[in-house]
Amino acid sequence: MTAAAIDASGLGKDFGAVQALDRLDLEVREGEFFGFLGPNGAGKTTTVHLLATLLAPSRGSARVVGHDIRTDGLAVRRGIGLVFQETTLDRDLTIDENLRFAARLWNLDHHEATSRIDALLRQFGLEERRGDPVRTLSGGMRRAADIARGILHRPRLLFLDEPTAGLDPRARRSLWDLISNLRASSGLTVFLTTHYVEEAEPCDRVAVMDRGRLAALGTPTELKRAAGVGSLEEVFLARTGHQLAQTGPA
Amino acid sequence: MYGIVIREFVRFLRQRGRALSSVARPFVWLIFAGAGFAAVFVGRSAIDYRVYMAPGLLGMVVMFGSLLAALSTVIDRDAGVLRMMLVAPIRRGTVALGKTLGATLVGTTQAVVVAAILLPVVGLAPTPGGAFLALAAIVLTGLALGALGVVLAAGMRSIENFAGVMNFVVFPMLFLSGALYPVRHLGPVLHVLAHVNPLAYGVDLLKHALLTRWADAGYGGELPIALDCVALAIFAVAGLAAAGPMLAREGGVARAAFRERP
Repeated sequence: MTAAAIDASGLGKDFGAVQALDRLDLEVREGEFFGFLGPNGAGKTTTVHLLATLLAPSRGSARVVGHDIRTDGLAVRRGIGLVFQETTLDRDLTIDENLRFAARLWNLDHHEATSRIDALLRQFGLEERRGDPVRTLSGGMRRAADIARGILHRPRLLFLDEPTAGLDPRARRSLWDLISNLRASSGLTVFLTTHYVEEAEPCDRVAVMDRGRLAALGTPTELKRAAGVGSLEEVFLARTGHQLAQTGPA
Repeated sequence: MYGIVIREFVRFLRQRGRALSSVARPFVWLIFAGAGFAAVFVGRSAIDYRVYMAPGLLGMVVMFGSLLAALSTVIDRDAGVLRMMLVAPIRRGTVALGKTLGATLVGTTQAVVVAAILLPVVGLAPTPGGAFLALAAIVLTGLALGALGVVLAAGMRSIENFAGVMNFVVFPMLFLSGALYPVRHLGPVLHVLAHVNPLAYGVDLLKHALLTRWADAGYGGELPIALDCVALAIFAVAGLAAAGPMLAREGGVARAAFRERP
């Protein structure tokens, strides 16, 4: 019996009159690779921000890495890593300085931070560029540095919010290699949001979101069987059909 | 928090143009505004106008230094760096405090560098006590304006509002601070406004520190030193108290996320 990395019940968020997320009940197991699929505006990012305590829920609650997001935000943030859709690196600083800044924010011990940063930069192939300002790096390198920043403090749960947006196929490929290595080596739970259906294929389980509601949940195989179709893409289209016009690749 | 302070300072040093112009700016004022006002006041005063201006210029340097550094929070939000701070396991208030202290450090460094050049140029040699009080005034002013800058930045939607801040906050604050002329001669409305201006207390404190010799002639500080200090401290604390929750509002994250939706 493994503990739940995420346990949300009735979680919801309104922005003014707009209901971004209705009432989400969701459990993500420790160690799971969980895909959170849906068209733009389905409430994926809102859900991530709620679970990461960046937003306060309008209703319901959730426990993330064992802590209540309403009452114990600091403990939640300590246990999670979050890679946003857009880069959070300071373009004026070098990769090294950015990671050091993050290490100080996460209150890592100086020596531990140094060895951890060295190891991550080696693993991510960024060693030679560590002294270069972020503005001079390619999109793929920035993304890799963002992920290094996200897992610097060894979180148990990593949120990846549309991590491949704007990356070319080669950078995408190496990003997925990186993430599968990480999962294999550390047993990291990964919560991936995406609107690229093919990216959700390797996930253990997938939730399909539509207009703030959970439209389907299961392993990719289960979802395909339930919908009587051959690919996740068809599941996606069947479950979120009316928003088809908005779902093309960005 | 230490990290936030360091980052602010490294960024400042990295932007050479900004560092240089911040040091050069007061001298431009000294030469041009100084010449103009000196011509107006010629023969009428017991003090060289450029000497009178010196504390005000130092106040101006701190104001630009810390206010602009604190306003960079807006850029942090646009660039996403603010989100990195908000998702870290630290309190919102700590982020606000870190930005304010970083801004204070930037403002203070600029003012100290400028003071080292400016004071000899205008022939002011402060006593050790005066120098200490001046430094205290600079740090307190930096804190008050840094906190104000973070509040303004937290309330701003985008960098476009920057010009508005310059016109409706920075320049009125400068002109109502006593940096260029005594505020006591202004009409009642402006005089009252001067009392809610943090920079006015900072400049007043700097005059206490640097213009003691001319105090009898009416050019020294006008308010009690303790009042100046308390007022600046209140601005700083009130600003920080307001800034934390404001930063935590959806502003750090969701607004940007929704704006970027296709």
